[in-house]
Amino acid sequence: MTSTFASPPGGSPAAATGPAVVATDVSKVYGTGDAAVHALRGVSVGFARGAFTAIMGPSGSGKSTLMHCLAGLDTVSGGRIVLGDAEITGLSDRQLTLLRRDRVGFIFQAFNLLPTLTAEQNILLPLELAGRKVDRRWLDQVVQVVGLSDRLAHRPNELSGGQQQRVACARALVARPDVIFADEPTGNLDSHSGAEVLSFLRSSVREMGQTIVMVTHDPVAASYADRVVFLRDGEIVSEIVRPTPDAVLDRLKSLGA
Amino acid sequence: MLKTTLAGLRAHKLRLLLTGLAITLGVGFISGTFVLTDTMDKGVGKTFARSAGKVDVAVLPKSDAPGARVPADILQRVRALPGVTDVQGKVQGDAALIGKKGKAVGNMPTVGMSVPTGRLLRYDVDKGRTPSGGAETVLDTQTAKREGFKVGDAVTILDKASRPHRFTVVGIVDFGIDHEIGYRGAVGFDAATTMLMTGERQYREIDVAGGNREAVAAAVGPRYRTYTGAELGAKLARAAGADTKVIRTGLLIFGLVAMLVSALVIYNTFSILIAQRMREMALLRCVGATRRQVFGGVLAESAVVGLVGSALGVLAGLGLGAGALVLIGDLNPQNKVGGLTLTGRTVAVAMAVGVIVTVLSAVLPARTATRVPPVAALRNDLEPGSRRFRLGRLRTALAAVLGAIGLALGGLGSLVMEKGEIAMDVVAFAGGVFFLGVIAAMPALVRPLGRVAGAIPARLGGVPGRLAVANAQRAPRRTATTTIALTIGIGLMSLFSVVAASGKASAAAQLEEQFPAEFQVEPQAADGEVRLPHALAAALAGRRELARVIEVRRLKTGVDGRKETVAAITAAAMGTVMKPEMAHGSLSDLKPGTVMVDEGTAKDRRLSVGNTVRIATAHGTAPVRLAAIYGKGTPVSGFIVPEADFDRHFTVRDPSVIYLKTADGVPAAVARKVVDDASRPYPTARVTSAAEYKESLSKAIDMILMIFGGLLGLAIVIALFGIANTLTLSVVERTRESALLRALGLTRRQLRRMLSVEALVMAVIGAFTGVVLGVAFGWAATNAMGNHTVFSLPYLQVGGFVVLAGAAGTLAAVMPARRAAKASIVESLATG
Repeated sequence: MTSTFASPPGGSPAAATGPAVVATDVSKVYGTGDAAVHALRGVSVGFARGAFTAIMGPSGSGKSTLMHCLAGLDTVSGGRIVLGDAEITGLSDRQLTLLRRDRVGFIFQAFNLLPTLTAEQNILLPLELAGRKVDRRWLDQVVQVVGLSDRLAHRPNELSGGQQQRVACARALVARPDVIFADEPTGNLDSHSGAEVLSFLRSSVREMGQTIVMVTHDPVAASYADRVVFLRDGEIVSEIVRPTPDAVLDRLKSLGA
Repeated sequence: MLKTTLAGLRAHKLRLLLTGLAITLGVGFISGTFVLTDTMDKGVGKTFARSAGKVDVAVLPKSDAPGARVPADILQRVRALPGVTDVQGKVQGDAALIGKKGKAVGNMPTVGMSVPTGRLLRYDVDKGRTPSGGAETVLDTQTAKREGFKVGDAVTILDKASRPHRFTVVGIVDFGIDHEIGYRGAVGFDAATTMLMTGERQYREIDVAGGNREAVAAAVGPRYRTYTGAELGAKLARAAGADTKVIRTGLLIFGLVAMLVSALVIYNTFSILIAQRMREMALLRCVGATRRQVFGGVLAESAVVGLVGSALGVLAGLGLGAGALVLIGDLNPQNKVGGLTLTGRTVAVAMAVGVIVTVLSAVLPARTATRVPPVAALRNDLEPGSRRFRLGRLRTALAAVLGAIGLALGGLGSLVMEKGEIAMDVVAFAGGVFFLGVIAAMPALVRPLGRVAGAIPARLGGVPGRLAVANAQRAPRRTATTTIALTIGIGLMSLFSVVAASGKASAAAQLEEQFPAEFQVEPQAADGEVRLPHALAAALAGRRELARVIEVRRLKTGVDGRKETVAAITAAAMGTVMKPEMAHGSLSDLKPGTVMVDEGTAKDRRLSVGNTVRIATAHGTAPVRLAAIYGKGTPVSGFIVPEADFDRHFTVRDPSVIYLKTADGVPAAVARKVVDDASRPYPTARVTSAAEYKESLSKAIDMILMIFGGLLGLAIVIALFGIANTLTLSVVERTRESALLRALGLTRRQLRRMLSVEALVMAVIGAFTGVVLGVAFGWAATNAMGNHTVFSLPYLQVGGFVVLAGAAGTLAAVMPARRAAKASIVESLATG
């Protein structure tokens, strides 16, 4: 899949410097006393603007928790997170919601779409929630790139799994958020559909300067990223820049996953 | 399997509670009805048993005819029997008590009763003592309280001929549970005075102390029936109990409506639960449960829910019954009642109804549960109820057939058939049939109705509004059942308000005919042959504030050998104030020596213009030619002769009714005062104004409507629980969806609003359907009721129902919405 975006969109210049999201000494504890589970133990990590970063780690390593905290879906027990120019730790639920609405895009593993809405309505949902004007040209372009032009009027249950994930990608892209968080976006897809989705994500980073943070346990998926961060037992233990599947797999093995 | 069921129920207490509540309310209503009426019955029975305990033998006329009496010689005969220590005859007639304002109290004269002395006194003397002699009276407790009299007061009571007599009140007596006394009030004298006052010479009943029944029976002969004290008590209690039976039946009808709504709510809840627990069912099948076991499991679950809900319902019924008793006690202290009565029958009936309704409602969902294939446990299925919806051939056919039959019968009853009770029954049946058709068609109607109901919220509510409207329509069957439960209550409510409004309009139209003038003066009387003095009419005629004084004189006399009303109306009023529609001939045909008659009588007696009728007059029979036949438009019916002829034929000078027309420019209050002043010397003359009458009528109708509304309120509340229930389960089902929306930037408030709007749309769909059905069949019922009914649509009320239902629906969404908004996004994303 080599189809790409015709021109870089306005808004997020690809050349911008500085990290899009920074976590400093973030910890997360569930429960109290003996039952306390330390999901994150002092994680400090930054995610560069215009980069595609993968978070990897064995089950229970805290990678999903980290993502949820970074995206403002979950609160932290300690430390701070800065998203763009805003510190999100300590924001109220309403402030967090508005922040997500304006600055964050999501692609989940499954159940990404509202069954009552058509593909197009699903794509436009975040913009409409935020009450933002729809840039038709940009929408057309995104839709064309993800190959959904003739599927816009369909409802999710009329789309294949791959098509559904592509709708989710389009939804995340069309709002031009500061960061897109993707949680196992290809976990439910066959390898062909998965490769398609990952290619979109990569080209959106390369050509539009979109920032993406992706949680995955699949070394192949991780190899699409510019950088892979490894977590184990709630701590960042390693990272690879410009990863290949083999390198990722080796590192995972060495981490004992 | 039972263990699994019970464990599942324990794990989902909230689910149990929500489902059980619908049944609790319905059962509560039914058991409350029984508690109320049983307690009333028991109170009645106790009272009568106590008073009847004082009587050894009672003698009553065998015939049930209203005029049947026991003559005085029978009393003498019984008194002479050996062993008889006391005999008292019960005399009862009219004796109008004059109130403090100089007017006879109440709409009808108070009842004059004989009060026995000694052992046979079976009334409670609350204060003072029993009366004796021609100058003493006792007052009924309620009457004394209402009119502000106490022991020692001097009161005026009119005798049969309306002559005033002065009495001293020597006691206040509770005459017990008696409808007539409750309504009219009562005064009591000794037996001789009662006879003088009421003109009654015979007894309603003879009470005997001592002696034995056989001897008494032999003495009185076969035309009289004898009772022992216990039998008398039971007979009286039965008569009074007939009232509670009517109340019970009426309340139970509303209870059944409530149960029907409960059944719908339970059916829906179980359907949704089964859909959501598809995996659980499949897992059970995987580990070896047979279809039968799954079916039995679901039914067992419903039985437990039904049992718990019904048990709570019986408790709620006790509370409801107690509340109703307090309410009734406030309204009508005549009905004294003791502690609450909870009989075994009440518990049994209430529990049986509750459990059976619950289990039956769960049968269809249970059958669906058996169809879940074991492999579904392993599949990650689509959300339940989201498949593309088609109404199915059977349902379509059913809806079409039932709808057509309903419409045809409704048309037949309202337009074609002869007006009256049968036509109304046909319309009612048609309404039921058509409603069944609507139930069948409802799933297909949800989407179009949802678009209509959701048009405004979808436009104004932004994204949450639009999502809500879409959500309300996404599972048409579920929404249909949820809304139809509300349709029942709202539909009946609208039906009643349309019929009530039409009844008011019809009555108003009728009133204009029957009440041709502003005021009407009538004698207070228990029967028809009482008149007003002509002097009153003469006095009123002298007042310039009154433009016209119309006297209607009438009497019953033989016409062609049958008793008929013959009347005369002040000549000047004919054709001016009294303007009857003429069926044959005209008013000017009514010349001396002729008569006109109303259409009904003419038809009945096969009379036509030109016939001669023979009227029995004071001077023998007079042949009179029938000159005209009149229709509606006059308050008088029967044979009307010219005034001069009436004077010639009869000696009756006093009018039965006087109508008064106010002169132009005289305010109503001024005219009223003139009329009141003029009638003051005549205590029994009752002045009513058309406006007052209309108002009291309208109040009475509103009162009935309010009672119906209150009773139907329960069905509506249950339906609202149904909405809350459906919404709660939908929220559970859409946990991940809500989480996704929250992740994408839907605020908590927007999420809450989304669910409120969904509830609003569902409530409005249900209410709107109900209002349409109610108005349509209200129209049909009004048409079927009679020939001269006027249809009236109470726009505000009916519109109000829809608005109120919408508001209540939003209220029903509060709890589920709060729960949904509180859910953590991260946890919700992880579920399922």
